[in-house]
Parts: sequence; structure tokens; C-alpha cells
Amino acid sequence: MAIIERETEVTATGIDIATPTTTYGVLKRPVAATGWRAWVFTVDHKKLGLMYGATAMFFFIVGGVEALLIRLQLAAPNGKVLNADLYNQMFTMHATTMVFLFVMPMAAGFANYFIPLQIGARDVAFPRINALGFWLLLFGGIFINLSWFLGGAADGGWFMYAPNSGPVFSPTHGIDFWAFGLQIAGVASLTGSINLIVTVLNMRAPGMTLMKMPIFTWMMTVVQFLLLFAVPVITVALFLLSFQRNFGARFFDVAAGADPLLWQHLFWIFGHPEVYILVLPSFGIVSEVLPVFSRKPLFGYPFVVFSGAAIGFVGWGVWAHHMFASGLGPVSVAVFSLTTMAIAVPTGVKIINWTLTMWGGKLVFSTAMKFSIGLIVLFTVGGLSGVTHSVAPSDTQQTDTYYIVAHFHYVLFGGAVLGIFSGFYYWWPKMFGKMLSERLGNWNFWLMVIGMNLTFGPMHILGLQGQPRRMYQWTEARAGEGLFNFAFWNLVASIGSFVLAVGILLFLINVVITARNPTKSPLDPWNSRSLEWMTSNPPKEHNFDVIPTVHHLDEFFHRKYEEDPATHTMRQIATAEEVLAEQERNADKHIHMPSPSYWPIVLAGAVPIITFGMIFSHLIAVVGGVILLFASFGWALEPSTAPESDFENQAAHGTALDKVGH
Amino acid sequence: MTSVWIMLVKKSRAILGFAAISIVAASCGTNAPQDTWQPKGPNSKIIDDLQRPVFAVAGIIGLIVAVAVIYTLIKYRDRGQPIPEQTHGKPALEITLTIIPALILAVVAVFTFGAIFKLAKTDDTEMIINVTGQQWWWEYDYPTQNEFGITQPIISSGQLVMPVGTKVLLRETSRDVIHSYWIPALNGKRDAVPGRVQTLRLEADAPGIYAGQCTEFCGLSHANMRMEAVALSKADFAKWVANQQAAYVAPAKDSLAQQGEEVFLNQCVRCHQVNGLMRADGTPAIAAPDENVWSGSAPNLTHLMSRNTFAGASFDLLSKQCRDEVWNAPSDVVGTKYLAGVTEECLNQKDLRSWLRNAPAMLPMYANATQLKATGGKYRGMPYLALTEDDISKLVAYLLTLK
Repeated sequence: MAIIERETEVTATGIDIATPTTTYGVLKRPVAATGWRAWVFTVDHKKLGLMYGATAMFFFIVGGVEALLIRLQLAAPNGKVLNADLYNQMFTMHATTMVFLFVMPMAAGFANYFIPLQIGARDVAFPRINALGFWLLLFGGIFINLSWFLGGAADGGWFMYAPNSGPVFSPTHGIDFWAFGLQIAGVASLTGSINLIVTVLNMRAPGMTLMKMPIFTWMMTVVQFLLLFAVPVITVALFLLSFQRNFGARFFDVAAGADPLLWQHLFWIFGHPEVYILVLPSFGIVSEVLPVFSRKPLFGYPFVVFSGAAIGFVGWGVWAHHMFASGLGPVSVAVFSLTTMAIAVPTGVKIINWTLTMWGGKLVFSTAMKFSIGLIVLFTVGGLSGVTHSVAPSDTQQTDTYYIVAHFHYVLFGGAVLGIFSGFYYWWPKMFGKMLSERLGNWNFWLMVIGMNLTFGPMHILGLQGQPRRMYQWTEARAGEGLFNFAFWNLVASIGSFVLAVGILLFLINVVITARNPTKSPLDPWNSRSLEWMTSNPPKEHNFDVIPTVHHLDEFFHRKYEEDPATHTMRQIATAEEVLAEQERNADKHIHMPSPSYWPIVLAGAVPIITFGMIFSHLIAVVGGVILLFASFGWALEPSTAPESDFENQAAHGTALDKVGH
Repeated sequence: MTSVWIMLVKKSRAILGFAAISIVAASCGTNAPQDTWQPKGPNSKIIDDLQRPVFAVAGIIGLIVAVAVIYTLIKYRDRGQPIPEQTHGKPALEITLTIIPALILAVVAVFTFGAIFKLAKTDDTEMIINVTGQQWWWEYDYPTQNEFGITQPIISSGQLVMPVGTKVLLRETSRDVIHSYWIPALNGKRDAVPGRVQTLRLEADAPGIYAGQCTEFCGLSHANMRMEAVALSKADFAKWVANQQAAYVAPAKDSLAQQGEEVFLNQCVRCHQVNGLMRADGTPAIAAPDENVWSGSAPNLTHLMSRNTFAGASFDLLSKQCRDEVWNAPSDVVGTKYLAGVTEECLNQKDLRSWLRNAPAMLPMYANATQLKATGGKYRGMPYLALTEDDISKLVAYLLTLK
């Protein structure tokens, strides 16, 4: 072994330094607790959560600009903003970016940040793998987008149907970048899911049974299981595609006896659970926010949990409803029609439970609450249009028209995105110790809701009037007569998309204003209910001074309130500050935290080098492989926690965070 | 408080808007050629009879949810009431509210199943037409069917001509990527998948032209890959069949058209077949598109001027005025107008000439040398042929003789 573990002298360090300087082989262990090094080499789930969030936000803007270009092109007949080639790249990358590089990483960000806090843990089970996941996602996202500058992006649609994805029909390297980039991001999802499943199953605070677990954590756990089983399917599909394109394999080559429907089955067996992967995190967020601002527990918590799990199961049996026009035969179509109707039931349960959570409550219309209410209503629209698709004969008219585009944008924007924004407003003070402006938030909310309805509402009509999707131009010959024809609704949709963009811009402005505003948020600004609020804002590096013992669902709320036996209303018995002070009094003396590491970013960095080499020169791939091997050994030989990295807890002693040597 | 009201009003608008949209769209008066709610045949009628009640039920449920949410928001807004009892749910209510939608869906499922199997029937077929998709046009191949006077196979493209009141079964496949055949007035879509033959029932109640569009993303010119189904009365269809089977009429000696035939023989016949066309040496001119086109075929032009469109129905062969006359004709005369074909006065000279001048400039295709590496030099779409204006005039004159 070239890399030999070797102890070095521990030097005295200041309070900035959280971990000791132990050297292994060629590299010293990173020690910085501030500055960029503290972020790049961190294994802290909160920092990684924020980095996931920032990355996702960046790609949200990229995907949003792509969407605006699409809407500019389609605002009028025979649009000339983009040519056919560029338009095909644009809609492919818009979907790819929004699905894989915005919603999924954003959900991963929330999960990373809040699952350990919600279950009363100090970090995730495998902190370095957590860091690896983030860097792989970031590098995978960058890798996919590199194609814009290296001959053109993928142009086969995010569904990338064979044989149109083959080297003959898409001769640029776009699809190669796409396939390898998603493969890299897929590894991130897979490691992340295993990590969070282990965390949730093993690291819950004492007393927190599964049925006392916060609902967001529950929904995210379902999502992690979906990822664990869905990602391998797309991994296989992407490997087949990459081999077809780069090494002359013929998995989808009809001339060699292949059936191109193989790709469709593989893609949608992944792709349909993926829909729930995208939307369940937001269901979790909304299920946290609604009770807080209704001052009531989630109505029918076990029903919401089990309907989430049911969606997780049934979600595996509906994939072929994306293929009703593919020619599966009537028996398959009938079966998948039925399962698709079946999955509407647990989804409907959630809508009913959210509404009943508010029923009888004391509703406070904060921005977070508005986004959650917006989700209930707008997701319902998407859910109901989804039910119309489950009616297979009707679907053969509407599929691949704008009606479908309207449907899944109501599901993904009305569902996933509104939930994410609800989470932003709700958890911002927790993450940054400052409150986003509620006034700007109100504008942000209304512009987004109005904008999204203007954008996606008319698409229902366009689809029913017969405008197919994925067309770089529409022609007046098929537009219909009168005022309310293609021309009108396409223009409305395009105007709406800019209203929507202004709404999102207001959010970014809100973030900047908030960052500059020195006012700190109160400890418990929303009168919240779950464990993540039982610590400071933002949380300390070790999250909790003492791991709380859980007696209730909504543990934090029940430490603040007790029921008046006469009226059954709740009366306050403690403030959040008092609850926290109680925690600090009982603080643990020694807290064991994982130490930062160079290896996750080094290892993750090697992967895109390998895939780049796969496309351009195998020699480069060898270089990447060597780096990967080196990083793997470095990683394997490095203990996850440096031996002398226990913290002497400042809360216990009233001193600054300090390290103790052994 | 006002902000709450504004919010409620706007929220209800969004919902009512959507419900209204769904209903209005059902009968919207734009007469868009591809409207999915205006069935013109029994198969699309089966779908329509199913989707109208389903959309209505979905709209009503959406309204109920919206009203329930809005009512809750008004009734339970924070007016200083104490924090309520921490109730965790009522299982009986939950189960009831789960079973009701399940029952509604069960009813929908029964009718859905009926429609699925009705639309999959093939044993009542009266006429078969083979449809083959290719980037970016459709080929129609009518196998010999004596009862319709089709005594030798007819090969056509762009427009599907069929008799009314006849149960036509399309047998679809593709020569390259997946395409999807969709004439919304007559039926839903069915993908044309390479290596597979899949069927789609079509039947039109009345003579007319029904618009369609390829609906499976198929590359650069997906947006331009259109089709039209032309339903003719049985008598008119017989005339159409007779014309398609008529022998080749060589252009008059020393006419411009005859010079055009020479250009055609020098250039176009490499890919495009014209049945009955002879070379100067008396041998039949056989096109070999498989040697030049990646997907293996190019439209058969034998009776080009009997069609109203060219290049995968991307462009009209008829001038705008003449086209409108055919499209807007009442159903009892549309057949006569259609069978008149394209005359010199009605020819859309501008588009046809530009197409012959430089096809890739009119339609995005992979036809440039730099993009042909992967196909070993074969074209995907019609290439630039460097024809002179003279040649183009000759060709147009010749093409006009292909009635």
C-alpha cells in the first residue's frame, strides 16, 4: 500500500478549527471550519443540504431560461427564435434539467438538511457518502450541460425513445453526454437513498417509533425506497444506450432483431416511480406546513403515511400508461388503465386529509401556508386531468398533445414546485436564521400562481384542440378559426410564462434582501411542531445539545402546549426558548461528529473524467480511472471520524466550541 | 382580511376557470382541424362518448374540492380563536372518503374496458391499408382488394384516401424511428414502430378531409410530418382507385413536360418511382431509394397531382384559394372537387419550385454531407440537387402531367 496511515502531532488550534490535523499518506485531513474549504470538504448534512439546494436553484434558473425560450418560439405561428435542431435540444434539456437537476436535488437538499433534524440525529449514517452524492450530482449536472459547448445537447426528448436516440438519428455527442451525465447523477441518487434509509431506520431519537416520525421524513423515506429500486432500472437502460452509441451494441436496432419498445418499458418502469419521486417530497413538506399553520395535527396521519406507502407500491404497476398508443394490446392496456385509476385513490386520500387538517383549525395565512394551499388546489387539477388519462381510449386522443403538457405541469409545478417554495418560506429561518419577507413572499406567491395558470391552463385547451407537443413550430393551417384558437392560447401561455418568471425572480430578490437584512428571526417563528425546531436557528453543527426523547408525534408542540381538560383547547405551558434552555441544561458533554474529508470530491471528480474519456478518448478515461482508484484507497484508509475529534460541548461548559485531544 | 378575500376569489377563479375550460373546450367553436372533441366516425365516437362524462365527473370533483377548500379557508381563518383540540383524525370518515372515489373509478373502469376492447376489434375489417412511417412522411400501400376494384397494389403518400362508411384497418409500421398515426376526427393515435405491425381502425361517416399529425417525436421535422385522411363516397373512391391504376401517359413529344421527363430520369428517378416510366432505351425506370436514402424509401410520384400535398403533407400542392375550395366544400361535392386533382392554374408553384430548388432550406432534414457520416453517405430527407431554374420549370411541367 502506498498510502500509509500515520499519526502526526496535534497542534493547538483556535476555535475556528473543529477537527484535528491527522495526516494520512499524502494528504492532511481538511480542518477548516470557515471559508470555502469548510464547504468543499464538509461532510455536514446541513452544509451539504444547502449546497444541494443552491445547485438545484441554479439549474432551476437554467431550466427556466430554456422554458422561456421554448415559449418565445411558440408564442406565434412558424416561430423563428430557435431552429428545429436547437428547439429539440431545448425541450430535451428543459425536462432533463427540471427533473434530474432541479426537483430531485432540491428534494435531496431538503431531505439532507431536515431528516436528521426531524428524527433527532446529529448527522446521516454515512456522512462521506453523503458528500460524495452531492459532488456526483453537481458534476453530473455540469457534465450534461457541457454538451451545449461541445457540439450540441441531447435532442431526443427526456424520454429518449429508441431508435431515435441511436447514433444515426442523433449524430452529435449530446445524447452521450446526457446518458453518462444522468448515470453520474444516478449514482448520487442511489448512494443518497441508501444513506437516508439507513439513517431513518437506525438513527431516530429514543421514543420515536416509525408512527411518531414526522410526515416529511416519512414521505422522504418512501421516496428513498422508490429511488433505490427505480434508479437501477434507468441505470441499465442508460448503459444499453451508451453501449449502443459508443461501442456498437445493437440493443434497440430493429435490423438486428431488437424491439424498440424495450427502451420504453425500461424507461417508464423507472419513469413512473420517478413522478412520485418528484412529487412525494412536496407532499411531505405540505403535510408539515398545513398542520403548523392550522394549529392542528395532520388529519389522519396513519392514512397519509400508508397512502404515501401505497403510492410507492402501486407506482410500480402503472408505467405502461405512458404507452397506451404504443400498441401493447387491449389486455395490457386495460390492466394498466385499471392500476392507474387505482393509484388515484391514495392520491385523493392526501387531498382529503390536507383539507380536513385545515377543517376546524386556526388558519394563519403565511406565505408558506399559501403555497401549500396552492398545492392542494392546483395539484388536484393535475391529479384529475391524470385520471382522464387513465381512461385509455381517451388518452389515445390526448397523449402527446399539449393536454399532457398541461397535466404534468399542474402535477410538477402545481405539486412539486409549489411544495418546494412552501418549504423555502417555512424553513428559511431554520436554515439561515432570518425570515424571508412575507410581503415580497405574497407577491412571489400570487405571481407564480397566476403565472402558472396562465402558462399551463391554456395548454389544456390547446391539447384538446389538437396541438401536438414537441413541435418546434405550429402552423396556422391547423390552428382553427375565431379568437380562441391556437394563436390566442399559445400567446396567453407565453405571456403567462413571463409572469411566472417574474414571480420566481421576486423570490430571488427576496433571498438577496433577506441576506442583507441583519434582523434575526425568532427561535420559533411559526409556532412549529416537530423536532427540527427544537434547536437554534440555524442549528448548531451537532444539531442538538442533547438527543431528545420523543413521546409524541409533534413532540416540540407538545412540549410547548398541553390540553385544557375542560375545553379540549390547547394552552401554552412553555415557550420555545424555555424548551431550548431545558435542552442546553442537559447538554451532552462529549459529542462525536464525523470529520471533513478530501476524498468525496476527489472521487466524484474522477467520474466525469472517465465518462468524458468514454466519449472522446479512452486514454482520458484511464487517467480518470487512476484518480478514482487513488481516491478509493484514500477513502478506505481514512477513518470516518478522526480519533480525537470529540467536541467538548460549549453549551455544557459555556465556552466556545473546542476540541479535546486524546 | 382583505388579502384573504382576494386570495379566495382568485383561487376560485383558477378552479372555475379550469372547469369551464374543460367544458368549453369540449364544444369550442374554433373548428381546429385536429380538435379531439369533434368525432367524425364511429371509432372516435366511442372515445368521445367515454371522455365527455369522464371530463364532466373530473370537473365536478375538482369543483367540490375547490369549494371545500375555500369554505374551510373562510370558516377557519384565524379570528383569535384558541388553539383547537389536537384531533388526529376520524377513521370512519377517512374510509368513507376513500371508498367513494374508488367506487366512482370502478364505474369509469367498466366503461373504459368496454371501449378498449371495442377499439381493438379487427375481425370486422372491410378494407386494409398498409401505412409506413418514415422521416418525415407516410406511405400508403393498398394491397389488392378486388371488392374495391383494387386489382393491383396502389402506393401513395401524404393523403390517405378511403371510402366512407367502410371499416378500414390500418396496418402500421415504420422504416426508421417510431412515428404515430393520428387523425383525431376518426380515432386516437397508434404508434408506428419499426419491426412491428400494429393496427388502427378508421372509419369516416361522411366524405371530407380530416387532418392529422405525427405525434411521436421523430426528429428534426417532426413538426412538419402531417397527414390527411380523405374520405370519399364509395362511387368517388372507385373513381380514385381507377385513376390510381390508370396506365402511365408519357408527355407529348417536344413539350416542356417531355424535357422535364428527361430531367426526372436523370435526377429524380434515383429515389422516386413513377410507375410505367420508361428510359430512352425502352427499359422501365426503377427507382432505387434504398441506395440513396437511409430509411430506404421515397414517395412514389406516379399520380402526384391526384394529391393535394407534397413532402409528407408538409406543403400544399394546391394554391391557397384552390385548397380552401376543396377543404370547405360541403360533403356532397368534396369528392368531386378532390378528384379534380391539381391543375396548372391551381398548382402551388411557389412552394413546389422552392422545394425543387433547395429542399433542405424548406424543411429541416439531415441532408447535408457533414451530417451523413453516420449513415454512410445516405440522405435522410430530400437533398439539395443543384437544379437550374430551367430544369425546375421543366420538372414542374412534367410533374403536372402525373395526374
